[in-house]
Amino acid sequence: MFFALIGVLVGGIIGLLLPYTYNTAYTLYITVAILACLDSVFGGIRANLEEQFNIKVFISGFFGNSILAAFLAYVGDRLGVPLYYAAIFTFGNRIFDNFASIRRILLFRKKSV
Amino acid sequence: MKKTNGPKLILTLFSIAIGIIIASMMKSGIEHYAPVTVESIQSLKSEISMINNEIIEMNQIIKEKEEELEILKNIYKNEEDIVDILSIDLVNNKFNSGYSRLVGPGISIKMYDNQSSEIIGFDVNDDIIHDVDILNILNDLRVAGAEAISINGERVISSSEIKCAGPTIRINGTSVATPFVIKAIGDPKQLMAAVNAPGTYGETLREVYAIGFEPSIEDKIIIPSYSGRFSFKYAKPKGEGEI
Repeated sequence: MFFALIGVLVGGIIGLLLPYTYNTAYTLYITVAILACLDSVFGGIRANLEEQFNIKVFISGFFGNSILAAFLAYVGDRLGVPLYYAAIFTFGNRIFDNFASIRRILLFRKKSV
Repeated sequence: MKKTNGPKLILTLFSIAIGIIIASMMKSGIEHYAPVTVESIQSLKSEISMINNEIIEMNQIIKEKEEELEILKNIYKNEEDIVDILSIDLVNNKFNSGYSRLVGPGISIKMYDNQSSEIIGFDVNDDIIHDVDILNILNDLRVAGAEAISINGERVISSSEIKCAGPTIRINGTSVATPFVIKAIGDPKQLMAAVNAPGTYGETLREVYAIGFEPSIEDKIIIPSYSGRFSFKYAKPKGEGEI
């Protein structure tokens, strides 16, 4: 949990220092992709805590989910239907689910110790 | 311990990746999505159209400058003679500044003081032509699109003064007296309407103050050139694009 937080912070500092920025046209896709990536990391933390972590599952989920989410957003833009809602709902929901599981695991583990 | 280290490392690495993406995302300056009102759309639209117009103007300027550059290059290559270009420039500048005689269709207005023995109004001042009358007529002519104006053979240019000087009027430092003959080149119908239509200043002069006011359309009006000199003592030219 905490190493992931530290990782995000370190990444944030690196990102702020890097001179690279996105084209504003891709904002939506990248936002949705970030959501998918966050979901994957939360899932990875949970799996790690449950000791079921599988690198292949994690990496395929990380990239596959983000690409699919961005693709949905793109197709939605083309069709005029906000399909990225699907990605936002799904991944948002799953992030909270995963976080709930992580909380319970951490809380009960500490109680038992 | 070894079991848990690998996943942690990978999770940390990917978290760093997410952090980088989020941070560079935030840097691109999309802080918030404000609700869009019709007003803001309108103002943005007008802003966009203004900027587009500016772009169009700038493109035109670029084109002009490129043409100038082409001419200069041709001079450099000795394909065109610099004297020819300079003499064309000279003619243009003279034309623009009022140093060239002009001819074209327009109207000629003859103005003179009230000739009748009866006095209109209480004051004899009401019966003579004043500088203000001339100025108003000139302004009406300019509104109607007069391209060149002269009064009694004195060309009216951008710096010409029209000043009351007793019974005469001073234009370009020269005193002129009645009858005043104002000549203007432009669309004759519009110029005529600007001074002769009911409700205009010229019509009021003639009908109310009984001042002689005889406009006539002419096919060929000759406007003399300005004979004075421009002298700038306080004004200095300022370069293009400087602030």
